[in-house]
Amino acid sequence: MKNTIWIAVIVLVILRIVYKITKRRAPASAKSVSKTSITSPWQRKFFTVYVFAKLNTRRFFRDRLALFFGILFPLIFLFVFGSISKGGSNGVSFKVALINNSRSSFAKQFVTQTEHNKLFKIDETLKTLDEAQNKMSKSQIDGAIVLPADFGNIQADHPTGQAKVYYSPSNDQAGRALISVLQQQFDAINAKFVSVQQPFKVVGQPTKQKSLTGFDYTFSGLLGFSIMGAGIFGPMNVFPELKKQGILRRFHTTPIRVWQYFLSTMISQAITGLVAIAVMFFAAIEVFGLHVVGNYLEIAVFLAFSIMMILGIGLAIGGWARNERQAAPLGNIIVFPMMFLSGIFFPRFLMPTWLQGITNYIPMSPVIDGARQIITEGKHLTDIGPQLGIMAIWMVVIYFIAFRVFRWE
Amino acid sequence: MANAILTVKDLRKVYGDKVAVDGISFEVKKGEIFGILGPNGAGKTTTLEMIETLREIDGGSATIAGIDVAENPYEIRGIIGVQPQTPGFQDKTKLTELLQMFAAAYGEKVDPMEFLNDVNLGDKADSFVENLSGGQKQRFSIVAALVHKPKVFFLDEPTTGLDPAARRNLWKMIEKIRDRGISVIITTHYMDEAEVLCDRIAIMDGGKIIALDTPKKLIKDLLAKGFTKEQHVEQANLEDVFLDMTGKGLHS
Repeated sequence: MKNTIWIAVIVLVILRIVYKITKRRAPASAKSVSKTSITSPWQRKFFTVYVFAKLNTRRFFRDRLALFFGILFPLIFLFVFGSISKGGSNGVSFKVALINNSRSSFAKQFVTQTEHNKLFKIDETLKTLDEAQNKMSKSQIDGAIVLPADFGNIQADHPTGQAKVYYSPSNDQAGRALISVLQQQFDAINAKFVSVQQPFKVVGQPTKQKSLTGFDYTFSGLLGFSIMGAGIFGPMNVFPELKKQGILRRFHTTPIRVWQYFLSTMISQAITGLVAIAVMFFAAIEVFGLHVVGNYLEIAVFLAFSIMMILGIGLAIGGWARNERQAAPLGNIIVFPMMFLSGIFFPRFLMPTWLQGITNYIPMSPVIDGARQIITEGKHLTDIGPQLGIMAIWMVVIYFIAFRVFRWE
Repeated sequence: MANAILTVKDLRKVYGDKVAVDGISFEVKKGEIFGILGPNGAGKTTTLEMIETLREIDGGSATIAGIDVAENPYEIRGIIGVQPQTPGFQDKTKLTELLQMFAAAYGEKVDPMEFLNDVNLGDKADSFVENLSGGQKQRFSIVAALVHKPKVFFLDEPTTGLDPAARRNLWKMIEKIRDRGISVIITTHYMDEAEVLCDRIAIMDGGKIIALDTPKKLIKDLLAKGFTKEQHVEQANLEDVFLDMTGKGLHS
């Protein structure tokens, strides 16, 4: 969190230093000293960029609507999706109905044991198999365990019985898993009654390497969502408005170049975007226990690059459109497929291989993959060459288009 | 004309088969207020926009201070100031910040307070544009167009929608700008404004200039043709009443 804000500050400071350096290098002008101390043409050009970036960044923090959509909105998504994926990642458990038709003491014991077992969540409201089957057909429970009337009756010198597991054929996997879990329970019980030397055993040993949890995937997707919201929906809505009020037209009468305007927008967007992301990191770490393995500086550099690249799409749409009615449909055509295909809402590894291959190359995918690899896998920028490569190509293509289609009014 | 700052020769603009500006020529001297008058659709705004580099020139040429508009648009933008019909500024930005931005657009660094005090907006320095009145906004818009000390200043219908006091204020401002040696080119629908303010005027109709002279000369020519108006002498009119009761000071 602190690191990210520091980086935003550092970016501004670096710009200032660049400006100061160019100022010093400017040759002593032969002309009479004007009121301004800026003399070299390039220094003037970057001074323009610096002032625009600084004042537009400042403006962002005064704009409640921008703050809502830029910071609060992604945060709300973070809490909603974070809560969902957190619930799922807390280990596997089965929602089952437990129907006991036996009166034996062993059956009673088994029921209490199962109730305390964390692997099972027993739906107490279900008393009959019919009720259970009804719920099963709606996929609200995974299965039903039925203990028959003779379950637990003493035969020879120990209790015996056969529990029946009912499961829906459409939920085949859960059913089989449930059976095997129950079989393990019985194996443990059996071993107490009949001592048998077991020649083969299997013992679980967790590896030290942390695997990615559901939340890790969710978080990098949400970062993507935040970057896309600010970078595409932002300019898509703002630019037509700036054109309507003649604000861009007014800049058009000054010598400012499109690249200066774009560059200043990219810088202020990167700064405000990193602040928004810093807030998300803070919430993700504090509330959802996100483990950040990667280096914060690399994360910030990578995300700043991502923000600037994705912003190009918004600049192209907003810069091209004459009004909102042109911007909105085009924006939605581009944004929504990208949202679903790039792994924002569900990880791309769930897609069929051929689709994964194609969606690898859409602009958001390398952003989300790269972010996840740096943040949770601790990879370095040098390790994610393919992603950076795709992003660099898109950066060139997107800004080439954005420059070509930009209109001041 | 020896001291012409702006020279327009045979300027043409064609939209499809409609000729918007039909080969007009005129010159504007250094330090004069030049008015372009005409009914809606006469081609006033198109003419201005071509000279301001905002629209492509289809025929003829325009030069400002010896620089060709079509060939060096960015150089031209550096020496002209433009006040559009509706002054639009981004919101939630202080007046001082907006002036810094406009100066920066020209690669300049200025002291915004100096400019704001010049138009009596010093006490509004930290306000946002959306909190200004119409007259204040108009004054601010003019000063924003002058941060880079342009040689030529264009105003498109600057007093439309202003109350009488604010209009008179603006006239004074424009005269002050002229007196600094800046050439002012203004379009307007108000004849009283043109008569009081402009040193010379061009009357446009159908894309052509149909008259070009000082307001006095144009009136004299008309009277010489034997024109008479119904005599109607009054010592004051309603505008005088309004101004007397609400004051002429710098309020708006």
